[in-house]
Amino acid sequence: MSFDVKYCLIAICTLCFHLETQGQVLSDTMRTKDIPQVTVTSDRTANPRSVSTSKRADAALMQATGSMQVSDVIKYFSGATVKDYGGVGGLKTVSVRGLGASHTAVAYDGVIITDNQTGQIDLGKFSSSQTESVRMVSGPDNDLLQPAALAAQAAVISLSTGRPDLGDAKAKGNLQLKGGSFGTISPQVTAQFKAGKRNTASLQAEWLETQGNYPYIQEGAGSRKMYRENSDVKRLRLESALFSDIGCNSSLTTRIYWCQTGQGLPANIYYNDYAARERLGNNYSFIQSTLASPVNDRLTLRFSAKYSINYTNYVDPKSNNAQGFTENHYTEREGYLSGVTLYRLTDKLSASAGIDFRYSKLASLGDESPRPTRYTVNSTAAIKYASERLTLTGRLNHVITKEKVVIRQAAESYNHLSPTAGLNWLAWPAAGLHVRASFSNTFRLPTFNDLYFEQIGRRDLRPERASVASAGIVIENQADGLFYSVYADAYDSNVKDRIMAVPGKNTAVWMMKNIGLVTTHGFETGLEMRGAEGRVRPALQVSYTYQRSMDKTDSGSTTWNHQLPYTPRHSASAVAWIENNIVNASCNLIYSGVYYCNAYNGPQYRMPSYYELGCSLWRSFALDTGNLILKAECINITDSRYELVRNYPMPGRQLRISISIDL
Amino acid sequence: MKKGLLKITPILLLTLACDPEPILLEPGQIIADAGHTGVFVLSEGLFNQNNSTLSWIDFGTGKPDSWDTGNGLSYDSFEKVNGRRIGDTANDMLLYGSKLYIAVSESSTIEILDAASCSSLKQISLSRDGKASQPRRLAASGGYVYVCCFDGTVTRIDTVTMMNDATIQVGRNPDGICCTGGKLYVSNSGGLDVDNPDNTVSVISLSYFAEVKRIFVRSNPGNIYSDGDNVYVVSRGKFSYVTMDYDTRLHCIDTQTDEVTATYDLPILNMDIADGKAWFYGYGAGGTIQVLDLATGQILDQDFITDGTRVQCPYSIKVEPTTHKVYVCDALDYVTPGSLYCFSPDGHLLYSVPGIGINPNTIQFCDINVKTTRYTGPPEIKGDIDRVFEYKPAPGQFVNLLPVYEQGDDSASMALKCLNALQSGNMITLGGFGGYITAGFNATVQNQDGPDFRIDGNAYNGNAEPGVVWVSSDANGNGLPDDTWYEIWGSEQKEGRATLGYAITYSKPAANDGNSEWTGSDSRTGSILHNSFHSQPYYPQWYEGNSVSFTATLLPDNVTYENGIYVMSSFGYGYVDNLPNSPENSQFDIDWAVNSDGTPANLQSIDFIKIQNGVIGCNSTTGELSTEVSTIYNLNSKTE
Repeated sequence: MSFDVKYCLIAICTLCFHLETQGQVLSDTMRTKDIPQVTVTSDRTANPRSVSTSKRADAALMQATGSMQVSDVIKYFSGATVKDYGGVGGLKTVSVRGLGASHTAVAYDGVIITDNQTGQIDLGKFSSSQTESVRMVSGPDNDLLQPAALAAQAAVISLSTGRPDLGDAKAKGNLQLKGGSFGTISPQVTAQFKAGKRNTASLQAEWLETQGNYPYIQEGAGSRKMYRENSDVKRLRLESALFSDIGCNSSLTTRIYWCQTGQGLPANIYYNDYAARERLGNNYSFIQSTLASPVNDRLTLRFSAKYSINYTNYVDPKSNNAQGFTENHYTEREGYLSGVTLYRLTDKLSASAGIDFRYSKLASLGDESPRPTRYTVNSTAAIKYASERLTLTGRLNHVITKEKVVIRQAAESYNHLSPTAGLNWLAWPAAGLHVRASFSNTFRLPTFNDLYFEQIGRRDLRPERASVASAGIVIENQADGLFYSVYADAYDSNVKDRIMAVPGKNTAVWMMKNIGLVTTHGFETGLEMRGAEGRVRPALQVSYTYQRSMDKTDSGSTTWNHQLPYTPRHSASAVAWIENNIVNASCNLIYSGVYYCNAYNGPQYRMPSYYELGCSLWRSFALDTGNLILKAECINITDSRYELVRNYPMPGRQLRISISIDL
Repeated sequence: MKKGLLKITPILLLTLACDPEPILLEPGQIIADAGHTGVFVLSEGLFNQNNSTLSWIDFGTGKPDSWDTGNGLSYDSFEKVNGRRIGDTANDMLLYGSKLYIAVSESSTIEILDAASCSSLKQISLSRDGKASQPRRLAASGGYVYVCCFDGTVTRIDTVTMMNDATIQVGRNPDGICCTGGKLYVSNSGGLDVDNPDNTVSVISLSYFAEVKRIFVRSNPGNIYSDGDNVYVVSRGKFSYVTMDYDTRLHCIDTQTDEVTATYDLPILNMDIADGKAWFYGYGAGGTIQVLDLATGQILDQDFITDGTRVQCPYSIKVEPTTHKVYVCDALDYVTPGSLYCFSPDGHLLYSVPGIGINPNTIQFCDINVKTTRYTGPPEIKGDIDRVFEYKPAPGQFVNLLPVYEQGDDSASMALKCLNALQSGNMITLGGFGGYITAGFNATVQNQDGPDFRIDGNAYNGNAEPGVVWVSSDANGNGLPDDTWYEIWGSEQKEGRATLGYAITYSKPAANDGNSEWTGSDSRTGSILHNSFHSQPYYPQWYEGNSVSFTATLLPDNVTYENGIYVMSSFGYGYVDNLPNSPENSQFDIDWAVNSDGTPANLQSIDFIKIQNGVIGCNSTTGELSTEVSTIYNLNSKTE
């Protein structure tokens, strides 16, 4: 594949992000000319000017938490609940503020990743070594250049791959090798080079292999030590990016992504061993391009285009159906075009408008499958006022869809309007105290599974609607070389018309229905401290989340006011690390209080509280070419035994070592 | 409302479910039904949650058997007794003889329980070619339990050996099984191929255990029932993506001709038959129970419940065949523990038991007294015996004590108690001369150089109560001790001092504390004297008839009276309970086994063992001589 890019200049695709991390108190409205190119430093993880609670994990935090997969580091974000089936291959989805995983959008370098079939993105598929930072915004974003599809989501997790920083060098390379318990090995090679005056290219290849045969304890009459079976994973990721300076301060970033995974699906541990034979193959590949162009002082444009193919192959070699096995193939193809225009009306007032067009087609083998196609048009209009102390945002999102199926009947078109608004006020400049508040009304469309899956799907579903009102404070300051930030936010969220499987008129056949109502009262708080200077640089990050997610569907039901499944009322995390010239060290802790694995909070569904403690040591040696980093980690030091998802045990103690050499 | 009725509101249910208290019913009054001791209710739980439960509602106490989990009260008697859960999606339950059989679909196991104690006797894992069989439904006849599995098979389980002894192929995904007139009827649903279901009922001859016919019905047959003359099968049809529903029929099959004789257009989900009528519930009718005349297909009663009680989601139904009380389980919202309702024949709610289990799918009447005890930890299994086939003691002072006889015990339950005793290092008695026990080793005992097995007793110097050992190899491989037995000749047979084939008959004393008189084949007589140390009846209480006979090898009299005490001296070698336990004193060599003519049997290995009391003797101080047996070891198991 070739893509001729002749003109290149400054990368603005990451500009909005840079703006946020600069910490300019003045205004974070788009002002292209003033912005010098900055290297992202790890002095800040959240933006105090954000109208919503936002968290960011940078390389340092990912190092300190021993995160191998992106989902690992999200466990340290307050307000996020990670549902994890355990091991490298186990599905990992993130629900923010009790809204459910389908309300969390995932963006890769600013472009949304979608899965119309299940509505959930497995964050375990992304390794921490491919991402430079992970950012999570639980509500409306300050960024006016946000594409319409992302702006319409209740929460967005953005994975940023960063951009090569070659300096004067023509080319750079990096080799990484990780190895760990349960047969885990992962080499990665990265090459970055200048291609002509205005192009920078990067190539990356990562191989991940794990046996995943970790031990667990099977409770019951006489506990037995067993080993997880069929939880092996093999994954190859090839990625290349071209960063082009196309003149007029505009930049074009083009990325090709190809990721092939073959894995087993470990079974519920109460099945007999012979049940764990299911295999899953997945190939996710895409090409995406983003053009960011500040046309002049006042006008900025951002265009993205993407084409993706998500192929999934599920095999159950031991099914009891007629042919003796089950094999499903699904291919979801998606074409995506996005455009956003930002216009600075005055120094303080900006407005933007954006439109996204998406075409998604799910093909699956079998004559009886409906093979749906969905056309989605997301549009958005936003306005922002940003003065020295005050930021106000307002946004209207609109979606319209059109659906087609090959057989049977397609779902009706959706046509929805949803607003968001936010405020951030620097109430006490001396202390760096901001007050923030936001409101968002968002929705998620029914997935293809919700609408069409065998007997369960129902084509008359409405979108699931979420609304969140949040208010809080954030203090950010710097004193004596110590950067610190404290935040506390309280929120109320509602999910209406929840799409759930319930017995139909024939009680033997379950069906999807818009039936649930969930109300969450939540509170999240966190503290972050980092010593930026000196020979010994300590850092600490602590967070706590309270979530009371209640089923408010039917006051006569036995689940009325019961806590949402897999949502602990109390959860907390802490990471402390110290960087110095001898050896860096970190210690991390995750705690979850009691929760339930069912909508009905009976004792038989109660899941005990758990904690997981880890630590790591690493050191960086300076080489002529760059750095050599050696790292040793111990995850789950105390060998804490717990299950996040009922009957899917999490791994116990693990060791991991890694080496990274710049070439 | 009638007096004594319990009305349960959802709010009450909620509080009960959160902090359940056992519901006290009026003991022996409204709850008693046709002499049953109670009902078992099986609840399947939720798919993949591994939370199937078994509840016991005792008609005597008027409440469900419960226990404190430390996390709240539980009605799961299975976990209470066995310290583990049944598994994932227990689909069906059947009480047959003294045992309760449970088919656990997702775990792919059959649990066999001793109904009286709810303790698991055996868990059978069902798989073929490494593929889970997914057992669905159960039926029983002629000493066998039949289970249809979703992998297209019917497996036969021998109720004595508790082993699956044969499997045959039927249609796809069988989802119903019933037994009548020497035949099994299995409905082949093909339900795993939604768009291409099966449409047959397999007829299986019990005598050949082979499929003899396939009857064509509408697509996707499921539940199947028999009233003795006819078989009724619910056919769900193919799923319609237009109505998004099934369209169900009820077929009637004549078991003489094995032809479909009638098809009724009825939306039946599940039913139970009594006196030519079927009490059923369907869907679309909001939990209504209706009554159907099976002969005509006419609905006799559109709404059986007459007092306004609302069953939210009926999940199982059972009609008491004589009293016509109707038991219905309500699954409520499928995630909350459901309820059991008992209705009078005229449709009035008599009582309800809320919070019984999640998705209660089977109700089973029981006539056995059920008593459960809390699990206290895994028993340490001693020795190498894993089956006791027969326990037949002669009258004796420890009989009915070692092991304890309880009201309702039969030879099978006593054999089980013996197994538990032997595996936990406790002693069992063989009673007087001739009493015996037959047991199986958990692995074949190879005949190697030197001693091969060891049997402990309770002998000490001057107190020998020798028992004779017989061994057998499972030559026909059926797992049963029905092969040739070979006697182990000890010192006395070897030296010609023993009387082979001595027969003895004991009579049952009229009174519980009476002496048991015996007559030998050489016309000798005597009695087992009732003494003051042990007051229980000495005659085995589970024996039928008024006398019991044995044939055994009679060893010489070993009792002498010396200095005012009775001394029971030991023989040379080769007997159980003959010398104080020690590796040397208690060991046996398979080479000692002989043919009936006394020539060496030259056995390569053995699987079964029989121990029989070989001495007649009784005195006023220590009572009769009775062999006691404790642990039995395979001495060669470690070296294999």
